Amino acid sequence: MSLKPSPRDWQRAIADARQGLSAWHVWNLLAMTDIRQRYKRSRVGPFWITLSMAAFVGGIGLVYSTLFKQDIRTYLPYLAVNYVVWTLIQGIIMDATGVFSSSGVYLRQEAMPKTLFAMRLIMRNLIMFAHNIIIIPLVFLLFGIWPDWEMLLAIPGMIMLLVAAYPVVMLIGMISTRFRDTPVIIQNVLQIAFFLTPIMWKVDQLGSAAPFVVGLNPFAIFLRIVAEPMNGRAPSLWTWGVAFLMIALLYAVTGPLFARLRARIVYWL
Amino acid sequence: MASIILENACVEFPIYNARGRSIRRNLMARVGGSVAADGDVVSVNALKNVNLRLTNGDRLGLLGHNGAGKSTLLRVLSGAYEPSSGSAEIQGAVSSLLDITMGMDPEMSGAENIVLRGAIIGMTIPEARERIPEIAEFAEIGDFLDLPMRTYSSGMNMRLAFAISTAIRPDILLMDELISVGDAAFASKARQRVQELIASAGILVLASHDPKSLLEYCTRGIVMEHGQIAFDGPIEEAIVRHGMEIPEMKKETSAVSGA
Repeated sequence: MSLKPSPRDWQRAIADARQGLSAWHVWNLLAMTDIRQRYKRSRVGPFWITLSMAAFVGGIGLVYSTLFKQDIRTYLPYLAVNYVVWTLIQGIIMDATGVFSSSGVYLRQEAMPKTLFAMRLIMRNLIMFAHNIIIIPLVFLLFGIWPDWEMLLAIPGMIMLLVAAYPVVMLIGMISTRFRDTPVIIQNVLQIAFFLTPIMWKVDQLGSAAPFVVGLNPFAIFLRIVAEPMNGRAPSLWTWGVAFLMIALLYAVTGPLFARLRARIVYWL
Repeated sequence: MASIILENACVEFPIYNARGRSIRRNLMARVGGSVAADGDVVSVNALKNVNLRLTNGDRLGLLGHNGAGKSTLLRVLSGAYEPSSGSAEIQGAVSSLLDITMGMDPEMSGAENIVLRGAIIGMTIPEARERIPEIAEFAEIGDFLDLPMRTYSSGMNMRLAFAISTAIRPDILLMDELISVGDAAFASKARQRVQELIASAGILVLASHDPKSLLEYCTRGIVMEHGQIAFDGPIEEAIVRHGMEIPEMKKETSAVSGA
């Protein structure tokens, strides 16, 4: 089987992406439904997301600030920002493994655009992110951190993260539908990535090894592009540059693959 | 303007066993040479070289034994399955009443489900919201509208699913057996709704084992055998060819004569 898409494949893939994007009301609604369904009949509802995040950050913040001999007044806000952004990245990647297999009911029966389900997934994770991010201003208020202008750089960072998330979801979704071991592999990669990414520790603690662990680690790049400004520091030019390159690479790989395999996804379900 | 053109459409399902779907197996095959390289991918030919042209006004009946490819063909016509080889060009809004409960969520209320399902089948959200009362009234769910669907009786469930699914007027209507829902009173109301849908649809494709409904709604018939079209012609001949008898019936005037 050749992996080269025909012009017709391209045409249909582009139509799929266009229809997927323009059906925003559908993926928006599906994402809201996902969240509502998860917390239906619960008193606190989706704010369980916020509460469990607060509990984690509070607990780990206390323990690790002692362990790393860090001042809790700087460590806890740092951890809170990083962990909130990491949860978004991790959530998108983990959910991506089931993006098509969990939508089989729709895909097998109607000609719905495949990309619509990627948008639904990203939207759902954004809603969770919106619940999590509530704790950041609270933590900042608690430790008396005053916001500065650098924080605005988190917005372009967030846009970059979402632009990258789209091909990631499609790519992981396709591979996971075809090869059923992928979700487990990805789960393991994420577990290791959590420790190799500066979420709980700081880059300067790493010393001379830092450029190797952080400089090209895609998780670290996309984490820092959002989290660093929120921590009051502009990301380095290197971080921006690598992020751009990674996005270009992701689209260059996923585009043709999606064009070629789009119609096959339903057959693998 | 609705039209469907299938040219040499084949649907071939690869059946990967557990090994075929694992990356290890795939890597091994690449690393360790070609030991039984494609020995474990079995494929099922659900459709073979199907050629079909349908235009506005066509009323097609699908006949065939179980497993002959009727459902697969319906899914190709809906656009969900794109042929693994050959082509399928489908123009017009398709409504497939194959699984009318698709996308409904038992935890959500009837009203929420109307909006959700409505959006999936092509309504805008304001439009879906606006039509909640009308759909609920048709489904006769009364005060249950704002309760979660898990509290519904199975009859209410089906009535609501039916009311939503038939709330839009498609260009192309696909059905797997005529839907019959509810008690006698509702069934006649539902029947009338289906007839209206059929009358307004450009193309109807009805898969059925019931010669009576095939004769009533269809003019052309296809007999499927082993994933291929074994016969294509007038519905009466298709029914005979399929080995069924043409039932005695009065020609009902409600029968549809093209849109």
